[in-house]
Amino acid sequence: MNVVTPAPLVVDGLLVGAILFALGLVGLLARRNLIVMFLCAELMLQGISVSLVAWSRHHGDWGGHVLVIFVLTVAACEAAVALVFVLQAFARTGRLDSAAWQSLREANLPRIVDRELPATDAVPPRFPRLTPAGVAPATDEDALLEREQV
Amino acid sequence: MIASLLPSISPGTLLAGGVTATAASLWMLLPRGRSGRAERSSRWLGGLLGLAALAAFIALGRRLGSVGEDTIFLVVALVAVVSGAATVVSRSPVYAAIWFAMALAGVSGVLLVLGGQFLGVATIVVYAGAILVMFLFVLMLAQPAGLAPYDRVSNEPLLAAVAGAVLLGILSLSIGRLAADPASCCAVPATKAALLATDPGAGPNGPGTVDLLAADHVARLGGELFGRHLLAVEVAGVLLLVALVGSIAIVSRGAADDEATDSRRATP
Repeated sequence: MNVVTPAPLVVDGLLVGAILFALGLVGLLARRNLIVMFLCAELMLQGISVSLVAWSRHHGDWGGHVLVIFVLTVAACEAAVALVFVLQAFARTGRLDSAAWQSLREANLPRIVDRELPATDAVPPRFPRLTPAGVAPATDEDALLEREQV
Repeated sequence: MIASLLPSISPGTLLAGGVTATAASLWMLLPRGRSGRAERSSRWLGGLLGLAALAAFIALGRRLGSVGEDTIFLVVALVAVVSGAATVVSRSPVYAAIWFAMALAGVSGVLLVLGGQFLGVATIVVYAGAILVMFLFVLMLAQPAGLAPYDRVSNEPLLAAVAGAVLLGILSLSIGRLAADPASCCAVPATKAALLATDPGAGPNGPGTVDLLAADHVARLGGELFGRHLLAVEVAGVLLLVALVGSIAIVSRGAADDEATDSRRATP
């Protein structure tokens, strides 16, 4: 048997990939916004890519790199089709809410009922106001008329 | 270094603590539809717990791997993981998308350190440059003003956080086992090893391997891609075409449906 001990960097790469995959899974399970769910799925794909490149480095061949290139391709296709579906879903329900499609759930699962949310005390954003400078120019009635004729 | 402050804790304790802290921190950080003050204090506490979980995993990585020796890897991995967590827990989907761009920057740094020069660049160009911008376009088209109620609540935040943390614990356990006992994962049968030993173009990892960090990395990757995997490249091209045609078909049929509905409404 010919045993190659994984290099420390390979183990680190696998750990980072596992963490990214788990974070994406939590988001995909918990969040309700359709677009955020797709972002979390992409995060899981990133975790997979990191693991594949780490294994590629360990085994010393191109397989992992080639697979990651195909992951990129499929992710591009998936994003295109998924975003079209999301836009259609938004056009029908006016919401980006996955619970708007809960009639597709399993028969034995309870219905998601939204409770009344407490008010946020979030401060509305304050945008800077420019101080008015100079004098407003006098309007030239003749010029305005001429412009309308053009 | 935070990790060097915890020299005497066993890896098992580190893993259990890290997994528990991850679950608790994600549960506190996820939106749960509460009032502003409770939400803010829960986010602070969740952030602190998340830092504790990060410290536990850095210490674990130091036991198993080289985290802390390679400073660049540590920095880019921290950027990727922290921005990934922020993507998951951001209330506003626009912020989530922008945090995801930051996570992509971290991931491409990790890929670069691991020797994927082409992939690091391709991740930025394809993901951040094309896919993420498409997400942002759709967000700008579809996002209502202000924070929607469904962005302020989660489906089963506790169960989701526990499921993710348990998965992370299992994965870390198996990674730790293969670091401690490489024979469980990385053994090559003797016959194949003998075959590989005669390989003339052996890379630094021993016989049968290629030099991934060679100067002509991209040329070699292209040779592999368009040589051994040529058929897969063709299939990927067909897949892209099908996705393009399919998305256009779905959009135009949806528009036709809407027009039909409108005309039915107009002529009762």
